[in-house]
Amino acid sequence: MLDPAILFDLGKIVIAAMAAALLARVARAPAIVAFIVAGLLLGPATGLLEPTAAVHLITETGIVLLLFLVGLELSLDKIRDVGRVAILAGLGQVAFTACGGFVLSYLLGFGVIESIFIATALTFSSTVVVVKVLTQKGDLDTLYGRIAVGIFLVQDLVVIVALTLLSGLGNPEELTAATVARSLAAAFGGMALLLGAALLAARYLLPPLFAWMSTSTEGMFIWSLGWCFLFVMAAEWTGVSKEIGAFLAGVSLAQLPYSGELRRRVHPLMSFFVMVFFVSLAVEMELGAAGEHWAAAVLLSVFVLVGNPIIFMAVIARLGYGERTAFFTSVTVAQISEFSFVFAAVGLSAGLIDAAVLSLIGVVGLVTIAGSVYMILYNQPLYAFVKRRGLLRVFGARAEPEDVAEEDLPGGHVIVVGMNALGRRIVTDLLDRGEEVVAIDTDPFKLAPLSSRKVLGSAEDPSVLAEARLERAKLLVSALQIEDANNLLAYRCRNAGVPASIHAFDLALMEELRANGADHLMVSKSAGTKRMARLFRAKGVLE
Amino acid sequence: MSQIALFLGGAVVAHGIARRWGLPATPLLLLAGFVMARAGLLPPDLLQDALVLGLTFLLFVVGVELTPRRVRAQRTAALRVGFLQFTTLGLLGTLTSLALGFDGLTALYTGLALTASSTLVIIPLLQQRRQLFEPYGRLVTGVLLVQDVLIILLMPLLIRLPGGWPAVLASLAGTTALLALAFLAQRSLAPRLARLHADEELLLLGGLAVLFAFVGMAHALALPVAAGAFLAGVALSPFPVSGLLRGPLTPVVVFFTAIFFLALGGLLTVPGPRELVHALVLVLVVLVVTPVVVTAVAERSGFTARPALEAGLLLSQTSELSLVVALHALLLGHISPDSFSVLALATVATMVLTPYLTGEARLNALLRLHPLAGKDMEEGTQSNHIVLLGCGSGGLPLLETLLAAGEEVVVIDDDPEIITRLRQGGVACVHGTASDPQVLRVARVEKAMLVGSTIRRPRDNQILLESAPQVTVLVRVFDEEDALWVEERGGIPVLYSAAAADEFNQWFKATFAGPGDTGNRPGAAPDTRAQHPEERPRSDPGE
Repeated sequence: MLDPAILFDLGKIVIAAMAAALLARVARAPAIVAFIVAGLLLGPATGLLEPTAAVHLITETGIVLLLFLVGLELSLDKIRDVGRVAILAGLGQVAFTACGGFVLSYLLGFGVIESIFIATALTFSSTVVVVKVLTQKGDLDTLYGRIAVGIFLVQDLVVIVALTLLSGLGNPEELTAATVARSLAAAFGGMALLLGAALLAARYLLPPLFAWMSTSTEGMFIWSLGWCFLFVMAAEWTGVSKEIGAFLAGVSLAQLPYSGELRRRVHPLMSFFVMVFFVSLAVEMELGAAGEHWAAAVLLSVFVLVGNPIIFMAVIARLGYGERTAFFTSVTVAQISEFSFVFAAVGLSAGLIDAAVLSLIGVVGLVTIAGSVYMILYNQPLYAFVKRRGLLRVFGARAEPEDVAEEDLPGGHVIVVGMNALGRRIVTDLLDRGEEVVAIDTDPFKLAPLSSRKVLGSAEDPSVLAEARLERAKLLVSALQIEDANNLLAYRCRNAGVPASIHAFDLALMEELRANGADHLMVSKSAGTKRMARLFRAKGVLE
Repeated sequence: MSQIALFLGGAVVAHGIARRWGLPATPLLLLAGFVMARAGLLPPDLLQDALVLGLTFLLFVVGVELTPRRVRAQRTAALRVGFLQFTTLGLLGTLTSLALGFDGLTALYTGLALTASSTLVIIPLLQQRRQLFEPYGRLVTGVLLVQDVLIILLMPLLIRLPGGWPAVLASLAGTTALLALAFLAQRSLAPRLARLHADEELLLLGGLAVLFAFVGMAHALALPVAAGAFLAGVALSPFPVSGLLRGPLTPVVVFFTAIFFLALGGLLTVPGPRELVHALVLVLVVLVVTPVVVTAVAERSGFTARPALEAGLLLSQTSELSLVVALHALLLGHISPDSFSVLALATVATMVLTPYLTGEARLNALLRLHPLAGKDMEEGTQSNHIVLLGCGSGGLPLLETLLAAGEEVVVIDDDPEIITRLRQGGVACVHGTASDPQVLRVARVEKAMLVGSTIRRPRDNQILLESAPQVTVLVRVFDEEDALWVEERGGIPVLYSAAAADEFNQWFKATFAGPGDTGNRPGAAPDTRAQHPEERPRSDPGE
């Protein structure tokens, strides 16, 4: 019989996460916090779940897909702009936090080796947490979002070095300057190699390949995943982290005209897997011995939540960025990483730290992840609060004018979905009337000849409609000949309070479309028949 | 990671081949899995999880897409065709298997597995050919639905058969209970999930929570996972929730089903000559029985030969559900690995053959073999009359206008209902399709004064345009491309899209243009766009 163990594991995770997420909606808490609570309930609290290898594989895949998406979203040019600040601030923060953490731990009474472990664990911030929150907030493509991503990529490189050093701590005789240098060279060499491959592929290989595949959305999606995992494997072979591999794979696809569509397809898969990641992260938390060092846990958490941003603020302000950007970026590093737990677990199994330290790191992780999610989500009010008290003046960053929200679509535009003959004609007619038009289609070639604004993607996807600013539109027109999509569009428009004119390409569809909220129906059949009757008359019939 | 990379590598190759040769991806994924397993490339420890997860998501989405709504007017025909095809093929399949020397249980499984036709193969083909909404497209959709339901309801009973009647009855009771729960959830849970107005992430999580809850209950009731997943889908199949879910669910399903089919391919044994012969016999049974039964019953339900045969050929393959049935039987030890391979082989063969068999050339060749080909057609005596090709909901008003004006009209339509109704009203009718030269001859097209064609696919008018070059033929078209095609062949295209766009423009002007808005904008003056290509005097000297 089929062994349904994986279904039970996933089932517990999904159902607990859904329940927690529903409660979180009522309590206005972020979803990540809900997932962590669900994990704590399933794991440390009740012991209902013991994740298997397959669940771990899903969580790893989730992280890979998340970074793949980041790559798809941020072209290399955007990252290059922030390269200098990312490297300087990333290395600066790593150095300062490591030193501060070490001193603090040592003062709290931990041994040298334990302090080294705690300090290292505190140093790394969680890419997954921050990118997830930034994506949710729609801030990934802001200046501070890009700086944050750059910093995390730098940290990822540092992680590799740290891992080498750690394995050296286990057998000190192998820890020589040569080994460290070799691992550094391998990591950076591998990175350069992958980067070169990604850039070359983006220019010469991928455009013709994906253009050929673009007729099959399913095939294109599978191919993009295949490309992502090809880079992940290449990253593993060259000693670079798989996150960097996935990121570069995403970057190389970002230039394609289909990148938006790919992003929307990868996103649900990623969000499912990353949800599993957060829940199982908390499930595996070893909190049994947490009571032992509760005071240390509080102090270290405060250090990460407050100290880390302060260190960061100081570094970034030196680099000439404005106060706001510096503050927003700083807030993103106020948590420790899932990697810290792995790191600590390795330390425990090597006998370098005891269970109490592992639990300590776990508690600090949970507190700082949850805390920083709130801090990032509410970074605007937090900034206003801190600024009012004049607390930021010490950093000497130049004051920055309030970001004027760039809104290129003031509203009152017409969205036209489906660039078939009807859709194209409506777009041209509306443009002739002087209307502002946003055209939506899944086929880039159909959008290309139009002079209106364009959004590539399936209009069934809420993010596509959001990009077209449905909520500000004065009308949505669907020329599509897809029954389900039209019904869904009518329904979404009614919910958004926007009038909808929908193509009823079959008379049998009219009733349902009206019931779902379409205000006007374009009945091409009867309009066409009327036209044909006119032509009959022109031919001398029907006098 | 490397395991997932391997799976994706196989999927990338399969999709590439599918794209290159225009084949469905499913059989190629199976073959890729088979080859990879032989080469030792499939990770054995993940196979179980891949199978269970893939199966769950596959059946879930079959349930979600189960919308009787789509069948509409063809409901009775679909039920009749579906039941008769299912029982005939099931019976003949079982008997053939017995004759081939299979044991009783294997024969029953084989019979059940053969009855299913593949949604994954057929729906994309219908979409690609734009026939999903034609009467026969709806018939095929309906037959698929009937098959799905019957198989899912019978499978739990069959797998309990070795346990004797008490086990079967218990299974029946369990299925009924879960079915009732699914219908209950349709009423209460599904609308509530839609009313949450959740973002896609939460919606997907909610959908999956329902899925896993049903799978858990199915397990508790000793029902197969497949039944639970399917019924969870049924619970979420009402509109808006099914439409809202489709976006985020599709990528997840594509990912897991790709892995499922690869893993399934890995289970196949190398077929010996005996298995090849068995598979060949089963393929022949499917390829002969389904078209014959479906064509005969569809014609009895009022379809004409061509669409009836088209439906029969489209349904002539075994399905992903066949594989699910076979997989359950294999893992329960009810059938041997060889029998499993025979079924899988038959599925691969029939799926690969479908695009070829349903091609236009094959269809025309087979139509000539039809026993009724060319009978009961008496040529009329009309001349200088008007021929209306297609008289569905769109063409009917035109007919009425013509009749009211006292014109002599002959109607050609392939819809039996329409023909019967019109004949009762005393209208001269020919039952058949535009691509049938004999039908055109009977309607005396070449003697007509004017022909108006309102059939859905403009290119079906080829024979009409060729056989009556001197007659004025007005052709319904939607795309400019088709308009050009019609013009090149001497017909006059009537652009329905332009007609609909004009009506839209009028509505738009009346609804949105406030006073003073019509002033100095280009194109705002009424009716400047009324001159459409087909209404301009044609350039040919004959006019």
